[in-house]
Amino acid sequence: MARLILSRSALALISLLAVSVIIFWCVEWLPGDAATRILGRDATAQSLALLRHKLHLDLPGWQRYLTWLGGALRGDFGVSLVADRPVLDYVRGRAANTLTLAAFVLALYVPLSVGLGLWTAVARGRAADHVVSVLVIFGMCVPEYVVGILLTMVFALALPWFPPLALIDQVHDLAGLLRVLFLPAVTLTAAMTAYAVRLMRENLIDVLDSGYVQMARLKGLPRWRVLLWHALPNALGPALNVTALNIAWLMGGIVVVETVFNFPGLGRLLVDSISLKDVPVILAASLLLTVVYILCNLAADIASLLLNPKLRAG
Amino acid sequence: MLGEWGMTRRRLASDLAMPEPSMTEACMKPRVPGVSRRVFLAGAAGAGLAGAPYVLRRAEAAAGKILRIASGEADGTKGTLDPAFSQQDDDATRVALVYERLVILDETFAPRPQLADSWSTNATGDEWTFKLRRGVRFHDGEPFTARHVLHTYRRLLDPATGSPGRASLSAVDPKGIEAPDDLTVRFRLPQPVVQFPAYIANRFTYVVREGQPAEEYRTKGIGTGPFKIKHFAPGEEPSVFVRNDDYWRPGLPKVDGVELRSIPDGAAQVAAIAAGQIDLTWDLPRVGLARLEANPEVKVISVRTPYVLSMSMWVDTPPFNDLRVRQAMKYVIDREKMVKLVLGGHGQIADDNPVAPWVQYGLTEPARKRDIAKARALLAEAGHGNGLDVELQTSDAVIGFIELATLYQAMAAEAGINVKLVKSPAGEYWDNIWLKKPFVCSAWSGRAADEALSVPYLSDAEWNETHWRRPDYDKLIAEARRTVEDGKRGELYRQAERMLREEGGILIPAFPDAIGATRANVAGWSLHPQKFSKDFSQVEFTS
Repeated sequence: MARLILSRSALALISLLAVSVIIFWCVEWLPGDAATRILGRDATAQSLALLRHKLHLDLPGWQRYLTWLGGALRGDFGVSLVADRPVLDYVRGRAANTLTLAAFVLALYVPLSVGLGLWTAVARGRAADHVVSVLVIFGMCVPEYVVGILLTMVFALALPWFPPLALIDQVHDLAGLLRVLFLPAVTLTAAMTAYAVRLMRENLIDVLDSGYVQMARLKGLPRWRVLLWHALPNALGPALNVTALNIAWLMGGIVVVETVFNFPGLGRLLVDSISLKDVPVILAASLLLTVVYILCNLAADIASLLLNPKLRAG
Repeated sequence: MLGEWGMTRRRLASDLAMPEPSMTEACMKPRVPGVSRRVFLAGAAGAGLAGAPYVLRRAEAAAGKILRIASGEADGTKGTLDPAFSQQDDDATRVALVYERLVILDETFAPRPQLADSWSTNATGDEWTFKLRRGVRFHDGEPFTARHVLHTYRRLLDPATGSPGRASLSAVDPKGIEAPDDLTVRFRLPQPVVQFPAYIANRFTYVVREGQPAEEYRTKGIGTGPFKIKHFAPGEEPSVFVRNDDYWRPGLPKVDGVELRSIPDGAAQVAAIAAGQIDLTWDLPRVGLARLEANPEVKVISVRTPYVLSMSMWVDTPPFNDLRVRQAMKYVIDREKMVKLVLGGHGQIADDNPVAPWVQYGLTEPARKRDIAKARALLAEAGHGNGLDVELQTSDAVIGFIELATLYQAMAAEAGINVKLVKSPAGEYWDNIWLKKPFVCSAWSGRAADEALSVPYLSDAEWNETHWRRPDYDKLIAEARRTVEDGKRGELYRQAERMLREEGGILIPAFPDAIGATRANVAGWSLHPQKFSKDFSQVEFTS
């Protein structure tokens, strides 16, 4: 396992470098720059030149990239071109928001997908299986902003149980936090659950039909023990990989949900920064997402290894 | 997951448009004991695991009424408190809470005193003297005097500042501004500007404090206004303001603090005011307001404004260089229908004239009626009897652009004008489309007559979106500016308006109303037709 972690870390560093190069030049190639975006309609040739000089946008691209890289290697990710504040201030704050929401979503998602996976596998072919399967697929197919708006209309406006917007600065305590994040968390859970539930179900069905489960049953073990102790670990592997991808998606890909609920997360920071061509923020945020992505995958692989003695031996 | 990614990406195009808002650092750092009772989560969510511990910090509960306001435009990391760079609606809101101008405009765009007590001019209108209000203090206790006014104007006019306000003050010579004494400011202008007080009531001329380091203007600016800035970091929501207890207008402001955030999504805005998450908001979507109007907990406020929603053609580029084509394009518009369908009935009919009929010096003649036969005849005369193909640029950049363009396309088709719509992402629109394509949707905030006629239409105007370069028109405006007698001046402006209406390259079918809403327990607020003129000092809670 140590070898796995080592080789993955080396690969991760190369990936990060590659991501930074690709993103930097992609942004370079797009028309316009931060100066035109900041001044917008008010831009005059003179004010543009002045601002470009101030932001060092008049230097050649490779020079700006190397300056950035030099800083980044020392842990200094620079200053946002647009906001004139240290990049890390933003990324850190937004990442904290996003992680809070992601944690809440996972707290709903993990028990829900495991539970429903188990249930549908055990009850396969029966009414419960069909109803749950259709519901989770519905959750996946309907775009999340539709689900979000529907939930808002029902549970925030018609029935005033939850606030319609996730204004987390208005939160007073933990209960308030859960209330404010509830609707976005449910929306995201609905979008994520289906795939994991389906995978769990298929795998469990295979495992439950396998010889060793039959053996365990024949030994006279209680049914719950067979299910949770013998069958479940073997069915979790693929679902874990899906979960890893889902977490990465939760970090940056939920712009739509962030917009519907006015939630200040990482996804919107990234979209804003791209539209303003705020290169240092784009780079820092995308590197963070890359790291999360790599870590999630690594964690999923390690978990699979731990769950599967066969793989470990190899 | 493919399904969702598809949707996500589709939405992105429109989201890119709005540099979107946000707060965040609240989650990281405890602020100084707050205006309101609030708690901050610390960044302990570090572990992306279920049940990660939150560190909840309870700031001190402070008594007092906090007005929670929300703009309808995105704020984002571009935000500023520096009047010299005020650009977005949220900037204007922050600036109007903290700073004040010498002169403000009333609802008809006539000048009224604010930091100036009174003003006078010489016989030719090229020298203006402003007497300043006595006893006004900046938020740090510094008395408000002429030197701050001098500093403000010189800073705006200094090319090194790079303020877009320089273009709006082109009639002022920085060397001609002087202070005969502490409470008098005199402007000696190279050319007469008869309406000078209104001319300087623009969005940049809020008086900043001399002696404050320039880098502090953006986030810690000190003004004379009803509220003091307490916390503002660009890209972080909300911006927090507290009452200025030494404010010069007695009894004001009436609330203890203001929190400003932005909710760019119209549906979210409506939901937030209906659920009471905010107290006051504006720029509401015009269509589908009925439900909000029926809600007893909410008051909807609608105010007519000379805000210009237009389609603009280059008058020097074929086919628009032919006057008959431009006129045909005007005759196809059914203006009443535009008000009804594009603005949901919340608007006034316009007549391709940027000066609204109720604004000082506006034309009050009835608007052009739709006349398809005439449009066809004009097109045939111009050699387009078999139809005319044009390309109209539109975008999500401004609410109503898409509806305006789509409806115009349908109306023009009846006269054989084939309008092809080209939609661009909102983030690109003002940079890469507007001023760069010959036929575009455009929008201009409500302005007084002189400004409305000069900023986009003088030959040397930086933002001449219709390529309208007519020495005879320039002469009319210049002459109006020199004319001291009010009636005669009005006639000159009206002559210019008629010229623009008949021959200009701009199609203005309607003036959209400004629409805002408050919770039912909020009183003392109205929208100003000059959009960036905002006044929250008289807003109060009735319960």
